[in-house]
Amino acid sequence: MKTKLLILIAFGWLAFTSCSKYPPASSRVAEDLAIYTQVDVNTDFNNYKTFSMPNTIVYIDGKDTSTLNNSNATVLLNRIALDMKNRGFEQIANTGKPDFGFNVTAIKTTTTTVYSPGWYYGYPGYYPWGYPSYGYPYYPTYISSYSAGTVIIDLVDLKNVVNNTIMVRWNAFIRGLVTNMHTQTEITNSVDQAFKQTPSLITTPVTK
Amino acid sequence: MKKILLMLTVFVCMTGMARSQDNPPASLGYSPSSYYTFSWNTTFSIGDFNKWVGNASPAGFDIGGRYFIKGGLAAGFNISWQRIGQTYEHETYYGTSGQALTATNYRFTWMVPFTGVIAYHLMADKTVSPYVSLGIGGDYMEHHLLIQEYDIYKTRWDFSLTPEIGALIKFGNFAQWGAIVAFNYKWTTNQIDLYNDREIKNLQMLDLKVGVALTIR
Repeated sequence: MKTKLLILIAFGWLAFTSCSKYPPASSRVAEDLAIYTQVDVNTDFNNYKTFSMPNTIVYIDGKDTSTLNNSNATVLLNRIALDMKNRGFEQIANTGKPDFGFNVTAIKTTTTTVYSPGWYYGYPGYYPWGYPSYGYPYYPTYISSYSAGTVIIDLVDLKNVVNNTIMVRWNAFIRGLVTNMHTQTEITNSVDQAFKQTPSLITTPVTK
Repeated sequence: MKKILLMLTVFVCMTGMARSQDNPPASLGYSPSSYYTFSWNTTFSIGDFNKWVGNASPAGFDIGGRYFIKGGLAAGFNISWQRIGQTYEHETYYGTSGQALTATNYRFTWMVPFTGVIAYHLMADKTVSPYVSLGIGGDYMEHHLLIQEYDIYKTRWDFSLTPEIGALIKFGNFAQWGAIVAFNYKWTTNQIDLYNDREIKNLQMLDLKVGVALTIR
């Protein structure tokens, strides 16, 4: 009888420990492309008509910044511009007072960074639109650790600059996009997906 | 010759039946005063719950007890724990404040059901005793949406009803140990509202239980 009870208790303990709340890590963390976007839900994008693109991607490696100029960078920037045009926005030169500008950043290695208003203060010299600070009309996502190759796309409002602060109206994080492990088709598909999951980012084209 | 054999067979059978009616053997078994079960559960989500997780899940266990009140009527309890989950490739999650995330999603629900049970056993003294029961109780549930390092979840308590059919099978007429096999349908007031664009209400599921039973005389 005692033996049977012991067997039952052992079976019970085995069952209890094997039935943990969380599934094994192997079945939950897939190292695939993850596309995260956040949009200012109070912005009427129909009030904005033009945008401008940077020529390069800012490349962050720890505390150092440089620029990324390879073919993947070109494909990425061109696709962002194409998706914006498909949403009714007109691309103009940086000098033409665009309503929107883009900051496109790639993270070289896995690093720990706090992403919040003022995040760019950690990277001196990175103010491509000539303003000393950036702000968010929404509570931005706090990301404590970027994976290598993560691309961050910020859509900044150059039309309504308040106290030398430009507001980010939409941003996208595409995990692991520029690790040289992904094809250019995957790059374009990921950018398309970022726009697809933000249906409010659209304007009525200006008729000329 | 064939006719003789047939008549002999019928005679032997009739004799046996008459004997069993006249003198019931002493080894019919016993009616337990109570019994306890420990069973392995496999859950199949149905209804709206199936839209959340479509897979059946064998990751669950149940502990139960029954106390016979009168004849085959018994009252008792069940406490269980169960996880049901599934991976969905390239799914987009829309948050409530303008966020959206497309990636491989792992959705799972972890639940701890607890019920008071009324059961009626047919032939409680026999080796195999089928029963019907109704469980009334609640669940503690956690609904998790795991997207890479993100864990978006909500916890919910609910009310539940669990009708069940099953059988208590003793390993011999006088054995204390036996097996339990049961199948139940469960309706709950629980819901999943993690998504901005969809709501899943009144979670329902089917459970198959197979386990061991300890009967007390």
